Amino acid sequence: MRVPFTWLKEYVPELESPEVLEERLAGLGFETDRMERVFQIPGGVVFARVLEAHPIPGTGLKRLVLEAGQVVEVVSGAGNARAGIGVALALPGTEVNGLKIGERTIQGVVSHGMALSPKELGVGEYGGGLLEFPPEALPAGTPLAEAWPEEVVLDIEVTPNRPDALGILGLALDLHALGYSLVLPEVRLETENVPIPFGLQVEDPKGAPHFTLSYAFGLQVGPSPLWLQRILFACGMRPISNVVDITNYVMLERAQPMHAFDLRFIGEGIRVRRARPGERLRTLDGVERELHPEDLVIAGYRGEESFPIGLAGVMGGAESEVREDTWAIALEVAQFDPVSIRKTARRQALRTEASYRFERGVDPLGQIPAAQRALALLQELAGAKVAEGFLDAGNPKAPDPIPFRPDYANRLLGTQYPEREQLAILKRLGCQVAGEGPYQVTPPSRRLDLRLEEDLVEEVARIQGYDTIPLALPAFFPAPDNRGVEKPYQRERRLREVLAGLGFQEVYTYSFADPAKAPLFRLPPPPWRLLNPLSPERGALRTHLFPGLLEALRENLALDRPERALLFEVGRVFGKEGDQVVEATHLAGLLFGEGVGLPHGEKLSGFPLLKGYLEAFLEQLGLGLRVEAHPFPFLHPGVSGKVLVEGEAKGFLGQLHPEVQRALELPPVWLFELTLPLPEPAFRFQDPSRYPLALRDLAVVVPQAVPYGAVEEVIRQAAGPCLEGLALFDLYQGAPLPEGRKSLAFHLRFRHPQRTLTDEEVDQAVASVVQALRERGWDIRA
Amino acid sequence: MRELEEALAAIAKAPDLEALRALKARYLGKKGLLTEEMKALARLSLEERKERGRALNALKEALEEALAKRARELEEEALRKALEEERQDVSLPGVRLFAGGLHPITLMERELVQIFRALGYQAVEGPEVEGEFFNFDALNIPEHHPARDMWDTFWLEGEGHSLPGPLGEEVRGRLLLRTHTSPMQVRYMVAHTPPFRIVVPGRVFRFEQTDATHEAVFHQLEGLVVGEGISMAHLKGAIYELAQALYGPHSRVRFQPVYFPFVEPGAQFAIWWPEGKKWLELGGAGMVHPQVFQAVDAYRKTLGLPPAYEGVTGFAFGLGIERLAMLRYGIPDIRYFFGGRLKFLEQFRGVL
Repeated sequence: MRVPFTWLKEYVPELESPEVLEERLAGLGFETDRMERVFQIPGGVVFARVLEAHPIPGTGLKRLVLEAGQVVEVVSGAGNARAGIGVALALPGTEVNGLKIGERTIQGVVSHGMALSPKELGVGEYGGGLLEFPPEALPAGTPLAEAWPEEVVLDIEVTPNRPDALGILGLALDLHALGYSLVLPEVRLETENVPIPFGLQVEDPKGAPHFTLSYAFGLQVGPSPLWLQRILFACGMRPISNVVDITNYVMLERAQPMHAFDLRFIGEGIRVRRARPGERLRTLDGVERELHPEDLVIAGYRGEESFPIGLAGVMGGAESEVREDTWAIALEVAQFDPVSIRKTARRQALRTEASYRFERGVDPLGQIPAAQRALALLQELAGAKVAEGFLDAGNPKAPDPIPFRPDYANRLLGTQYPEREQLAILKRLGCQVAGEGPYQVTPPSRRLDLRLEEDLVEEVARIQGYDTIPLALPAFFPAPDNRGVEKPYQRERRLREVLAGLGFQEVYTYSFADPAKAPLFRLPPPPWRLLNPLSPERGALRTHLFPGLLEALRENLALDRPERALLFEVGRVFGKEGDQVVEATHLAGLLFGEGVGLPHGEKLSGFPLLKGYLEAFLEQLGLGLRVEAHPFPFLHPGVSGKVLVEGEAKGFLGQLHPEVQRALELPPVWLFELTLPLPEPAFRFQDPSRYPLALRDLAVVVPQAVPYGAVEEVIRQAAGPCLEGLALFDLYQGAPLPEGRKSLAFHLRFRHPQRTLTDEEVDQAVASVVQALRERGWDIRA
Repeated sequence: MRELEEALAAIAKAPDLEALRALKARYLGKKGLLTEEMKALARLSLEERKERGRALNALKEALEEALAKRARELEEEALRKALEEERQDVSLPGVRLFAGGLHPITLMERELVQIFRALGYQAVEGPEVEGEFFNFDALNIPEHHPARDMWDTFWLEGEGHSLPGPLGEEVRGRLLLRTHTSPMQVRYMVAHTPPFRIVVPGRVFRFEQTDATHEAVFHQLEGLVVGEGISMAHLKGAIYELAQALYGPHSRVRFQPVYFPFVEPGAQFAIWWPEGKKWLELGGAGMVHPQVFQAVDAYRKTLGLPPAYEGVTGFAFGLGIERLAMLRYGIPDIRYFFGGRLKFLEQFRGVL
């Protein structure tokens, strides 16, 4: 919300400076986004009265004759340029908003300066017409800066719990609680004893819990006085006419929106009801809208018949708006159901100053005072006469008292504020305090956010200042069911550190997936799509991490052409079982490029290297790895394996399918992806044997198609419990072996935990191995 | 004597150990010149033998010494030669292994978690796809409340879906990408009893366009401490410890009122960064709202669990990890974190 400093100072005259105000507001919970200086009006801009306006034939322009201390002629294209209004005139030689005003000849007419729009003067956004003042606002020729001195505007953030602070008075009342004295505006209203010539029927009291109408007539609609226009401009609004400006001004003052209907267009009166299917309304912004049956509308009525003249709490209708010849109005000041307003504003994509306030809530008792304030101003500034009384429907509810214990406040805050001080703060905020221990505290009706004792505790702390709360550390033993809850987190942490220590670089990629790319990666379509994605490429949730790693590699290759890369990511992926989302944590690794070796010599790379890393990684975690040939659609059919960790299927390891690789314009890439958590290693300490090792070598000749793993499995099974270790030291094919055969040579290490093995025992173990191998039809190589 | 000089010269010049052995045989071998001379002593008179013997012994010693010396010289030279042949260019690069590293957000998160672990907090994690109930309703952010506007949300397509609740039970409702780590407050409290201290690091999502300072995907650290007598002073103490651990003894903390529906009183906190000489707005905090405790106990009831949050108080805080990492490492653009560019990521390897 925009807060003009001088305006707030009218209510809080002791305010020191905008800078102090910023600090005070921050302490109260209102952060200033920025501080802006407005109305830096050059001395060469003066107030002028338009004496004559003559159209220049054949153009849309007019020749204006102005009284500006002297008579001046300018050319203007503004639609509202007409005789009898006051304008802001930039004299030749003035620089306005970076534009140097000179004497120019336009269509053969010499323009001695320029009549300005709000945008040209730099006070508002509106550029569609001249800034328009009452003709006698100032003596002609007076520099405008005298009436519109510079202003400092604080743009503050008002959180949704404080709709009362969407009016400057709400802020003034908060500052008052800090100790500043408060000056409330005087409301002097003289009413006429005339009947109100229209009726009110609220058909939907849930939608409009409180609805008031008052009657003002004899209006002289025209431009607002300078001070009022200045405040509206400073608050970011556009002055329209005195009547409309007054409703906006009171809204900005009291956070209570209101609307004036031209009496000529409401029929016999006003009916508040839901819209009917297919009903339409052209709103003030000129948009013809189709209404939804849930929309609350303000309708005019004649007998049974009724017709929408406003979208309740959001925007009035164009037809019934106040115009220059409006003579009488019905002034609506109401309270609406916030949810209903919010839904309508969303449905119509129409967020207005009014809907913004109504959907946050207005003071349930604030309608009559706000109406009186507006009516008094109408009387003062628009010559209105005001009928006595209101049409008033609904039962505005005053807030309930809240039990309050000052000692609870101190316990919750960790403070020792004296009871008396706490109660004094609540009173300064406008609360009524009754009873004693617990006290009954009735908050002011404008403070919709005060419902619970804790809300009052915050008020005490807020006004004392959070900086008065001390620092402390709590000491306690956690409840037993909290012990060890961080183990999963620490395990995942360790896993990342092991990978980084081995040489993997961690990357983060987005959790999104491009559903259109699933076929490219040979993955099934992602089961979870976003209702509101940022872009189609981020339209779904990922089911695997490896596509992200591949994209990351692609970008690196395009930018920096690395010769190799070893990457990993740990992240969440999203699957579906039935209707249920199944979120899992995956670990994926990627290897590309020349691998390891001497820079000037031979390199090791590809599948064996990545598998070696995976083995070392799991070994560090105390886990065993087995990889079994298994096809995955996105992997090279010949280099594709299922990863088993401690015998549990956990994912895949292999080479990216060459077709996928080509489609992505990548070099060959090796990948693994595992589902976490990994099994917990079954740890049991074993005292290392002190007895001697027995070493034997063994070479097995098997058909090419027999995987190494099968041979190892047979040896381990047959060798018995004393086989301490086994290592492949040679893999050979070619002469003198027959075609289609390969030889695998192993070192076998035997040892007994409690005694020395005899040669016979070892020979026997080897003999069993040999026998088992032969039973498979495999040969032993001498 | 001339012969002796010749012999000594020959030994000193012996080119290798073999030549030296030949010389040794020639003088001191069984049939060596000196041996022959020794044998000839027997034929001399006692007096002569004594004199001659002494001379021959001296000669023998001299020869042996010369032979040993030369042998040593030759061995040393041979070793020197062998070592010289094994000389390597130590300035040549070694085998090029991979040097890995952790992502800067992982590093920053680790630092934060370690700070809080030292205070007795445990780290737990929650799901990234959440239900509307945990992300909003249970946190006192009802549907159609303007407070919902504070979190621009990615919703998942479709109706009638479900997700696992705090104890694995099926929870129906609209699904979304969690907009903060706070739903884990509810999940954790449903499944555990106070008192406890936890931190929840994790990835969160906001429906917003990205630029240098805004990301749709980023990371938060949530803290939650619940027990009897937990106060706002404890909250301030926790953030003070964070400030001191991050920025040293000259750091300070500042708390200002702010609104989050799930805390009351609510605060935003800033840490004074002595090096940068400015306040860093780091996050939101406050005392757990009674409605959150009530929502938790009500949910526990549906699971057949007894109420556990009557009469306790608690504080919670949340902060953005990216922002801290950007300040700490001087990273100008938040989009770098998901860029995956090695030239960026590799720079953090020296970071503790």
